[in-house]
Amino acid sequence: MKAQTRRDLLGLAFISPWMVGFLAFTAWPFLRSIQLSFTRYDILRPPKWVGLANYQSLLADDETFRHATWLTLKFAAVSVPLAIVAGVGLALLLNANVKGIAVYRTIFFLPSIVPTVATTAIFVWILNPQIGLVNSLLGSLGIQGPAWLTDPNWALWSLMMMGLWGVGNSIVIYLAGLKDIPTYLYEASIVDGASSVQRLFKVTLPMLTPVIFFNLVMGVIGALQYFTQAYIMTSGGPGDSTRFYALYLFDRAWRYSDMGYASAMAWLLFLAVALLTFGLFKTQKRWVHYAS
Amino acid sequence: MHRKSVVKACILLLGVISIAWLFGHPSTSAREVSGRKYPQRIPVRFWHMWSAEWKTVVDRIVDRYNKSQDKFEVIALSVPGGADTKFILGAMGGDPPDVMAQWNAVIPTWAESNMLTPFEELMSPSERTLFERDSYPIVRRVGQYKGKTYGFPIGLQVKGVFYLPKAFKEAGINQFPKTWEELIAVSERLTQRDSKGNITRLGFMPGSWPETAPLFGGGMYDFKLGRLDISNSKNLETIQCLVALRKRDGYDQIQRFQSGLNTSSFGGGWPFIGGAYAAAVDGPWRVEQIAKYAPDLDYATALVPPPKGGVAGAGLGGGNFMIIPRSASHKEGAWDFVKYWSGLTDPLTAAEFYVWGGWLPPSDAVAHAPIYEEYIRKHPQFGTFVRAIGSPNVQAQPPVAYQVFVNDAAGKIEDGALRGEISPGQAVEQLQKSVDKEIARRKRLGYDE
Repeated sequence: MKAQTRRDLLGLAFISPWMVGFLAFTAWPFLRSIQLSFTRYDILRPPKWVGLANYQSLLADDETFRHATWLTLKFAAVSVPLAIVAGVGLALLLNANVKGIAVYRTIFFLPSIVPTVATTAIFVWILNPQIGLVNSLLGSLGIQGPAWLTDPNWALWSLMMMGLWGVGNSIVIYLAGLKDIPTYLYEASIVDGASSVQRLFKVTLPMLTPVIFFNLVMGVIGALQYFTQAYIMTSGGPGDSTRFYALYLFDRAWRYSDMGYASAMAWLLFLAVALLTFGLFKTQKRWVHYAS
Repeated sequence: MHRKSVVKACILLLGVISIAWLFGHPSTSAREVSGRKYPQRIPVRFWHMWSAEWKTVVDRIVDRYNKSQDKFEVIALSVPGGADTKFILGAMGGDPPDVMAQWNAVIPTWAESNMLTPFEELMSPSERTLFERDSYPIVRRVGQYKGKTYGFPIGLQVKGVFYLPKAFKEAGINQFPKTWEELIAVSERLTQRDSKGNITRLGFMPGSWPETAPLFGGGMYDFKLGRLDISNSKNLETIQCLVALRKRDGYDQIQRFQSGLNTSSFGGGWPFIGGAYAAAVDGPWRVEQIAKYAPDLDYATALVPPPKGGVAGAGLGGGNFMIIPRSASHKEGAWDFVKYWSGLTDPLTAAEFYVWGGWLPPSDAVAHAPIYEEYIRKHPQFGTFVRAIGSPNVQAQPPVAYQVFVNDAAGKIEDGALRGEISPGQAVEQLQKSVDKEIARRKRLGYDE
């Protein structure tokens, strides 16, 4: 056996634990779901071929599907830019050279390392309309706060607002991006007489666009798959006001034992994510500035 | 690169595959031996969904069964979260429990998928005669699908009104109302509010739309014709009354009030115990809960009064039932345990279990057991439910394969109506439309209805 072949085999053997897990639990279900999406499959009986019937029902007849899709897009359209603005804004503040900045940075990062389920459980209490922290604070100002999670007009916005709690993760990435901006650019702009606002819009933000682009792509993918918080806090309610795409998919799969239908939904979501990501990559030439 | 390194790498790969295989296929003996008290007996694996104080009751019953005979050992496992999914995965993987206690709407779907054993295949002719002769009508309806019994009830429920007599007396009401209209009228006086108008005690919290409809002569399923019957005028009348009540007390006010209540209904956390409601519709198990956690609470129970011209003693029955998977390893032991717990052949012994759990009896034989009668004397509030469960007017959940969908849709649409977002007429229309669409979808996909 040649030395190179041996080396290759050794490498493969060492990554085999991951390979086995990936092939068995990711690649195989992924490929299998393509086939299942063309079948009627209730888990308990063998799948039965139904052609495009699942896709036809989803696209032509399923109002909940349409509602969940629209709701998820709306959520992504608001929550992703909101997280970017908040993340960049806070990163700019945390980039300031002031005493105790390390402590501030830690404080902002801490929420993002708390498990999602724990954070969500705490927010259920914080947003309780009767005994919650938010409404108690509003009450002390003479304002009667809304029923954040149980009023259909507020539930979606409450979840969007709650999303800001985990912005610490992206702050760290933005901070790294800010540190990477060459100081000579600022020096040159100061020499040219640029104000601080001009430096922000002409130097900082353009130089930060690769990082913003990365967070935008990841944010869109994450928002389209939004599930855990809604599952725990609202279970899709009140009414269907927080029935996100992934939540409806989960219900179809596990609550109504309709795996074929759920697989079709999963593939439509995959295509939507792929198309949106492709579209974002197409736009980057116009607004993302790479230092090279 | 040495040959030794390659050999080591191959051994590592083999090790990984072996570990994966071992986890995926634990040997039967390894599963059975762990934690067993009677290893020489035939194991009967029993899953249930009870937790907290109810799990203790289940463990006592299992313990009693294991001591009552020497052939089987029931091994109980509490699966309080995601039990349905775990059961499906277990059944798919060829490793389901031998018997499972359930209360979710799973029978039609699982029976349709040929996942459950009909009890007719397990009952002897004499047991079948006993079951058909002695059980209350609702017992035979609860676990049936397409004429076969897939769920064997071990504790029934039908809801009634829990109320605080003191609150009624303070409001000048000396007798519990005889009709729905009277109850709704007096409940306004029972509701208390703070200086800002926020509700601090709600006069009456009714049951859900499907639970209340039978009292009005309605219901979601026509058992005579064997089909769903959503758009009947009685169902419309029911939701109209529920919406009118909510509107009177304030949509937003009730929403806020309920959001502030304890979300856990276990132990002493049930809001009625804390005085949040002057009257509330709930199930018979609360009697035992109150006895344990609030023994000094002064309360009474009554049947939910029907409206004028309505159906007395009507309601939506349900309860806990046992299922035996088609692929269970030890069906004989599973059936023996089900018989023991349900009291089919020995109602006197089983009566004690029903007392422990505060569950309604499946037959007069259990209800008239001395220990059960003693329990009712001690907790007269429980007697209300015992009287109710024998009524022929107690309906069961719609026995259709998409029962979960119907229940979810009804709950969601009722919620919208109770918030004032849609009218009662729209609620009925939307529910019918939503269910019709689901039926059409299932037909298009070729599901056997």
